[in-house]
Amino acid sequence: MSVIHLEGLTKRYGEIAANDDVTFEVESGEVFGYLGPNGAGKTTTIRLLLGLIKPTAGTATVLGADIRDRRALTEAKANVGYLPDTLGFDDRLTGRQALDYFARMRGDERREELLELFTPPLDQSIETYSAGNRRMLGIVQAFMHDPDLVIMDEPTSGLDPLKQDRLHRFLEAECDAGKTVFFSSHVLSEVQRIADRVGIIRSGELVALEDIEALLSRGGKRVRIHLGEPVVEERFVTESMIDVELLDSTAQFTYTGEPQRLLEHLVEFEIQDIDIGDPQLDDIFKHYYGDEADSEES
Amino acid sequence: MTAIVRMESRNLVRGTLVLTGVFGLLVVFMLAVFPGMAAEAETIEQAFPEHVAGLFGFEELHTLEGFLGSYMFPFIWTLFLGIYFAYLGGGMIAGDIRERRMDLLLSNPVSRESVVLQKIGAIWVPLVAINVGLFVLLYAGSFVLEESIDPVVLAMAHLLSVPYLLVCAAIGVLMSVVLDRVASAQAAGLGAVFMLWLLDGLSEMDPDLEWVGGLTPSRYYDPAAILIHEEYALGDAAILLVTFVVLLAIAIGYFVRRDI
Repeated sequence: MSVIHLEGLTKRYGEIAANDDVTFEVESGEVFGYLGPNGAGKTTTIRLLLGLIKPTAGTATVLGADIRDRRALTEAKANVGYLPDTLGFDDRLTGRQALDYFARMRGDERREELLELFTPPLDQSIETYSAGNRRMLGIVQAFMHDPDLVIMDEPTSGLDPLKQDRLHRFLEAECDAGKTVFFSSHVLSEVQRIADRVGIIRSGELVALEDIEALLSRGGKRVRIHLGEPVVEERFVTESMIDVELLDSTAQFTYTGEPQRLLEHLVEFEIQDIDIGDPQLDDIFKHYYGDEADSEES
Repeated sequence: MTAIVRMESRNLVRGTLVLTGVFGLLVVFMLAVFPGMAAEAETIEQAFPEHVAGLFGFEELHTLEGFLGSYMFPFIWTLFLGIYFAYLGGGMIAGDIRERRMDLLLSNPVSRESVVLQKIGAIWVPLVAINVGLFVLLYAGSFVLEESIDPVVLAMAHLLSVPYLLVCAAIGVLMSVVLDRVASAQAAGLGAVFMLWLLDGLSEMDPDLEWVGGLTPSRYYDPAAILIHEEYALGDAAILLVTFVVLLAIAIGYFVRRDI
């Protein structure tokens, strides 16, 4: 049986559909990445799954509990961990007190083990926490009762790269041990790295459901280059470059081909400065999944 | 499942101590004025314009029972503490929703009904602390002033204030689940309690409008009747308790249906 099952899940705010007829399943033991640009409706789906908001139409089940059945969903939550995007702790408490509080409601058999990996300063009050410490405390509370399913909304936001890496490896190990993870992200490389399967949401609509292999072939990097001489378009631009902007000796583009090819191509030029980063997700989506959402509206 | 009520009770301890101290001081000041006031009771009762005196229901100011029942209790319990409990209730839900604390709280296997009940349950802390603290102070004060007051009667004046204060708190909670901002909910709660109190007093001036006062909670808590005439209106207390339950049920009904 699937751990999460969405069936035509829809949430409207007036004319705007934050989620529009979203249907997919998350299987047991899977890391499911829910990928989309900011404002695409990822958080809306997650808050629907937790029963915080009510669907306008359609429904979903979480660990077999229908989200419209409040009692069943409340019971199911004993086996769900949740890491929200905005971590609303009671800031007057220390980290330890906050964990004690949640432990009384759902247990904390794995707390110590988690605190060896993620190390928020437990004896300080949470109002003094950095974004990274807040996030780590959030991770500990989400996993400490050893739930079967963990739902995470932008889990790595605020974490430094080292801790992000630690979280990624931790998630891989958890899923090998049979845990199901559903997480949202607007960072393509993160989803590519840890997800087994991915659902892509744009403007409230699910535009694709892919295995990770398919997504890996649809990567991209945002590249900004400063050359020693004015860029000659015919010589510089290749087919794998999209959204190209050339201005004098500066070039900006999103590269959708293989990184090796890009580097081979670039060594032919005199490069003064280069910046290669994650692409704007929306650009990538437009490239791979067309512009259906926009064209429908117009 | 008592984690929430324990946490919320703990959070109320400091504020309760401060408030008990402040009201304790106020009580001491008022008691210090009593001997002088008792001597001039008649002049004072006449000095107030009739509608102001009516608002408080001054009666028998020259006795300690009259002073407490018609002056101190209407002021401190009916007005100030009523407003305070509405303010407390107003802060219970709206702030948690807005600051996203409710998201984390409801990710636990705990129902929304239970969240509201446990949060309102935590007001046992100020209810008990303020009533016990001020009872002790007033009873001790009666000895200092070399007056006598029946402790049972005084205790009843405290005890019967509880249903009234519960109704005030429930008014605040109702505002807190309906309104989105904690400041609005608190203002609406305490504003409502103040207006109801004013309405009760004003409606007594006009026999044609007296029935309006029957819709206000303060009509069902009469410390003067308890302290001066030793009349314990248990029926009125029951009406207040039923009102409390109904208001709370409405608040919960709304809260379980709303988006967070």
